[in-house]
Amino acid sequence: MTTTQQPGKQDLSWLDEVTMTELERNPYPTYERLRSEAPLAFVPVLGSYVASTAEICREVATSPDFEAVITPAGGRTFGHPAIIGVNGDIHADLRGMVEPQLQPVEVDSWVDDLVRPIARNYVEQFEDRGRAELVAEYCEPVSVRSLGDLLGLQSVSSDKLREWFHKLSVSFTNAAVDENGEFTNPDGFTPGDEARAEIQAVVDPLIDRWIEHPENTAISHWLHDGMPPGKTRDRAYIYPTIYVYLLGAMQEPGHGMASTLVGLFSRPEQMEEVVDDPSLLPRAISEGMRWTSPIWSATARISTKPVTVAGVDLPAGTPVILSYGSANHDSGTYDAPTAYDLHRPPLPHLAFGAGNHACAGIYYANQVMRIGLEELFEAIPNLERDTGEGVEFWGWGFRGPTSLHGTWEV
Amino acid sequence: MPAAISVSGRRVECAEDQSILEAFLRAGVWMPNSCNQGTCGTCKLQVLCGDVDHRDSPLETLTADERASGLALACQARPLEDTEVALRGTETGRATHLLRDLTATVVDVEDVAHDTRRVRFGLEEPLAFSAGQYVEVLVPGTSKRRQYSLANTAQEDKVLELHVRRVPGGVASDWLFGPVSVGDRVEVRGPLGDFHVPDMDQDAGEPMVLIGGGTGLAPLLGIARTALERHPDRVMVLYHGVRTEADLYDTDRLTELAGTYPGFSVVTVLSRESAPGHRSGYAPDVFVEDIASARGWSGWLCGSPALVEAGVKAFKRRRMAPRLIHREKFEPADRRGPGA
Ligand code: HEM
Ligand code: FES
Repeated sequence: MTTTQQPGKQDLSWLDEVTMTELERNPYPTYERLRSEAPLAFVPVLGSYVASTAEICREVATSPDFEAVITPAGGRTFGHPAIIGVNGDIHADLRGMVEPQLQPVEVDSWVDDLVRPIARNYVEQFEDRGRAELVAEYCEPVSVRSLGDLLGLQSVSSDKLREWFHKLSVSFTNAAVDENGEFTNPDGFTPGDEARAEIQAVVDPLIDRWIEHPENTAISHWLHDGMPPGKTRDRAYIYPTIYVYLLGAMQEPGHGMASTLVGLFSRPEQMEEVVDDPSLLPRAISEGMRWTSPIWSATARISTKPVTVAGVDLPAGTPVILSYGSANHDSGTYDAPTAYDLHRPPLPHLAFGAGNHACAGIYYANQVMRIGLEELFEAIPNLERDTGEGVEFWGWGFRGPTSLHGTWEV
Repeated sequence: MPAAISVSGRRVECAEDQSILEAFLRAGVWMPNSCNQGTCGTCKLQVLCGDVDHRDSPLETLTADERASGLALACQARPLEDTEVALRGTETGRATHLLRDLTATVVDVEDVAHDTRRVRFGLEEPLAFSAGQYVEVLVPGTSKRRQYSLANTAQEDKVLELHVRRVPGGVASDWLFGPVSVGDRVEVRGPLGDFHVPDMDQDAGEPMVLIGGGTGLAPLLGIARTALERHPDRVMVLYHGVRTEADLYDTDRLTELAGTYPGFSVVTVLSRESAPGHRSGYAPDVFVEDIASARGWSGWLCGSPALVEAGVKAFKRRRMAPRLIHREKFEPADRRGPGA
């Protein structure tokens, strides 16, 4: 399946040369070409079709002729049944399990009390130092501590939670396959396997306790809610979704805050506007999500019958990866999409996906990022990027700055 | 006929079968949104008047109670008639003092500094306002209104104290430095503006720094006196920046205040000369020299746009939270802006 040429279509043999390393370092050039030449294309290194424009991503994500499927590397990392890869009754049950805590009315009732003290605590650690590496010292810790406490993982340190999502993340996106569809780098799953073993060692005893003594933690609710009295959901049934949380839900609000900061640093006058008027933060964050989508290309759908998408005929059972990060740079939708611009004409973006598998944590995630950045700017209104240090983005499946050095006068 | 929908004074047409969100976004009016399919709740807003059809808004995202209290999902709802909405979290119903039209009588005109006058207007009935707000005065014999900050505290509600700087050729200036005389009756409208002391319950007694340029001192006098009465031990520094010693005024009044309140100090700053007892330079720079950290302080800036901008930068440099920075810009000429 290496030849990607379709009769009467563009010659896409250049795609044979695309490597995973290249995509992870900078997927944009490849995807820019995909969007213009083949918005739905088979990408050999991924062993899968990929949707790259806003229109085609939305079409596939919401089509009645597609359902969810987990990518092979994702399935290898999480196991079954992960919420992102199941359909029908199981999906309905898992959504019904996670959604109650994530409803806006519910989130509004506790999110400030949960996140603000955590954000303050982390900012206090460095606010008088005059410099900090904001990804590792702020964005990631605020994100993982908030969700960790919500899940009931108070006993797990923020550093451990960060280590877990990093390890799960590299395994989840270890997507490269050879011409036979075999993983090119099987060792790439070792970090994820290690993290899973550690997670189970920590979470199993908690589950034992919550089965007997339910508590007001998300995982305890997952065990009990909607179950007949005396029954709980099987732990093997909820673990894959616990991993979905311990990867994406832990990592992405951190990515989102960090990318928004980098975007704002690229427009000092917009940074100043937002610092002076924190009510602009939701808009700044929304543009940050569009500009560098944290879940850049991590979920997929599979056709349930023969379909034609973007002029390509797909047989039933064809997986399509949704590259939302590319869709959000679609020049058919956005002018100068590679620039961060707080004031660009406001149009919806796809950073949280679409259809019945769209992100379940949008409202919560937006609040975490807002409160996190509010507290950062409140404490350090004179924050600047340390221009002595570079900023590098990394990732194809999940994307964000690997580090971000800030300085300020103290 | 398409219904119109408005938010904070922006009004857009909502085409047939367009959601409120889409109508706003297409018109370039941003509002929070994420999923655009009714499931995340990010686009929730308050219907202030008019009526909407909630369409497919799911009950999980928008509960029956929320509907009853006038909330709607912008990405789903369609206006059924001309409808006004407010974004959540924006202040809508905050109590303010009633705006009133009054007749005032000039009771006192006093030269206090070079080209600077204090004018007092007597009122027949008291005016309710918050210290720091301003009024509009209709210049007699013209149709021109000019804005002046009040130096009063809210208790001093029957005599309005304004500080005026001469502006060559300005209509108000020509009157106030010319034919004005005690007993003149003028039309006054007020109170106006959001530059004012916080409400009592919002004021925890945090340290304050105030920087006024020239007659920008006026509202700061009302604010400082009010804030010190509330919390007599609070730390407060007031910088009065002017060009030369001849431009200074009310120094005795401030010194007296400093005698009463031990936490209060005044710094006079001259930008065009040096003289004993005064600092030289630009008031925001002097603040930066003096105060190592303004974390947790509130800041009050009144004067020319340049002074206010420089003050904001100085405050942030000393890590004052932007939400605690209050600003009032005087326009340079005798056109707009309190105190011009
Ligand atoms: C800025 C942060 C986040 C971003 C950008 C993000 C984005 C996404 C995206 C793109 C998807 C896949 C949607 C699709 O396939 O169409 C997804 C799925 C999901 N997200 Fe998020 N997410 C974030 C944070 C969170 C948080 C904090 C939580 C939970 C607290 C969460 C819970 C979920 C769940 C449960 C799914 C699976 C939904 C399903 O398959 O039914 N997310 N997210
Ligand atoms: S944008 Fe998500 S409910 Fe409207």
